[in-house]
Amino acid sequence: MSDRPTALIADDIHKSFGDLEVLKGVSLTAREGDVISIIGSSGSGKSTFLRCINFLETPDKGRIVLDGEEVVVRKDRRGRLLGADAKQIQRLRTQLGFVFQGFNLWSHMTVLQNVMEGPVQVLGRDKAEVREEAMEVLAEVGIAEKHDVYPAQLSGGQQQRVAIARALAMHPKVLLFDEPTSALDPELVGEVLRVMRKLAEDGRTMIVVTHEMGFAREVSSSTIFLHKGRVEEEGPPSQVFGNPRSDRCRAFLSSTL
Amino acid sequence: MFEYCADPGSLDSLQWWSCYLTTGKQFMFYESFGTVLALLFLTAPVILLFGFGGAMARRSRVLPLRWFGLAYSSMVRGVPDIIFFMFALIALDQGIEYIRHITLCPDWTEPVRQGNDFVVCPQAKMPLSSAPQWVHQVYGFFLAVIGFAFVFGAFAANTLYGAFQAVPHAQLETAAAFGMSRAKMFRRILLPQMWVYALPGLSNLWMILIKATPLLFLLGVQDIVYWAKELGGAKTARFTYPHGDWRLGYFLVLLVFYLALTWLSERVFDRLTKRVSRGQATMGGTT
Repeated sequence: MSDRPTALIADDIHKSFGDLEVLKGVSLTAREGDVISIIGSSGSGKSTFLRCINFLETPDKGRIVLDGEEVVVRKDRRGRLLGADAKQIQRLRTQLGFVFQGFNLWSHMTVLQNVMEGPVQVLGRDKAEVREEAMEVLAEVGIAEKHDVYPAQLSGGQQQRVAIARALAMHPKVLLFDEPTSALDPELVGEVLRVMRKLAEDGRTMIVVTHEMGFAREVSSSTIFLHKGRVEEEGPPSQVFGNPRSDRCRAFLSSTL
Repeated sequence: MFEYCADPGSLDSLQWWSCYLTTGKQFMFYESFGTVLALLFLTAPVILLFGFGGAMARRSRVLPLRWFGLAYSSMVRGVPDIIFFMFALIALDQGIEYIRHITLCPDWTEPVRQGNDFVVCPQAKMPLSSAPQWVHQVYGFFLAVIGFAFVFGAFAANTLYGAFQAVPHAQLETAAAFGMSRAKMFRRILLPQMWVYALPGLSNLWMILIKATPLLFLLGVQDIVYWAKELGGAKTARFTYPHGDWRLGYFLVLLVFYLALTWLSERVFDRLTKRVSRGQATMGGTT
């Protein structure tokens, strides 16, 4: 198991907003093909941690290493980190597919244009080739027939599947999911989870912040329980869900069932 | 124009009208419509340019640029237009002449300011007094374009700034998460999405600009209002085509012109709005 190469390391990530210390040193290592789910109550820092991984939030302290390449940072006068090389961060972000809670499809583009935007505009790939590939990815998430409509005309579940297709079209090393089903009506959650389950089976490396305990338990290779900015419990889902050592984790799990 | 127009006094009414409406002066009236339209269509892009400049300065990461953008869009909006035309443009005109004066006539010893007069050497005059009439017209016209663009650009800057700020942050954050550079985010996401918020304000500006064109006479450009007043006034028997006070008639023509222009503009803006709201989850986007 441990002979698979390391895809992503987040090491000792700290982050404060004003006086509020949201992350107090969170670490994670993802090997290729890992599906790591991060659970915890709201305010535990799950989303902030995910956003620190691709520098949507700049961590105050800590290291991010993607595929052996460490994000270069420098310190400002108060000792906080700043991304030192905007070009590097942009390049690394293209390898980190991000799926947002609120889908965030670009509203002025059709479904197909949304999926093609990154590969064509950011990676500079050939348009015709990308179009063909985009249609395949859209078929993969089961929404190819809607490629010509605008996001506002789709249901939430459909929009989130397009958002997943859009992330996949970049051929990312790691997929980051920030509560991908939390903004959906209950009856639409299933279609998105089905797509994610398939991606996991295909061997994609995924880090999933989620409230879907069933998904975390069945699909992930390891689970992290965050509590007040710290890793409170960590291990294979069978252990975290079946036999948690931490009282807080046990309390959290019993409250969500 | 027509041969039978040699003695207008003896003409029947149809011929009299055909002669009256084709005199040289009448043609200058007709041409002034062209002047007004040219001013509108030349000024509009320059206004947008000033507006984008101001709005982007205000959004800049460089503090002095932000100050500049804020100062431009708030100060200019607060000053009456007429002061700009009377003061700023004349200052601009005199500034150009003064720079030419010190470079072209270094030996000139008399002071430039003599009481209320501004005196530069003849070579520094803008345009030169020997220049043909059309050069004077074009120069006045150029000043008008700059003047209108400067004043209206401040309003446009405010409108565009508001439109930029109205685009949801998540749309840009997503683009950043896909590795887009700031320049590309601006071009691919922010710019296409901000029009829907900017168009109502810009269409207001355009309408106000249409109504502001008579200010041209302040700059010595003869616009349609000038000619309507000039030609419509009562003409005594000493004139070739004597008539009473026809100003009401002339101004009715202007009324029709302005209304037609407004109507056409509304239709164009409606179309543009429909186009930029495509796909937006707004009231405008769903219809």
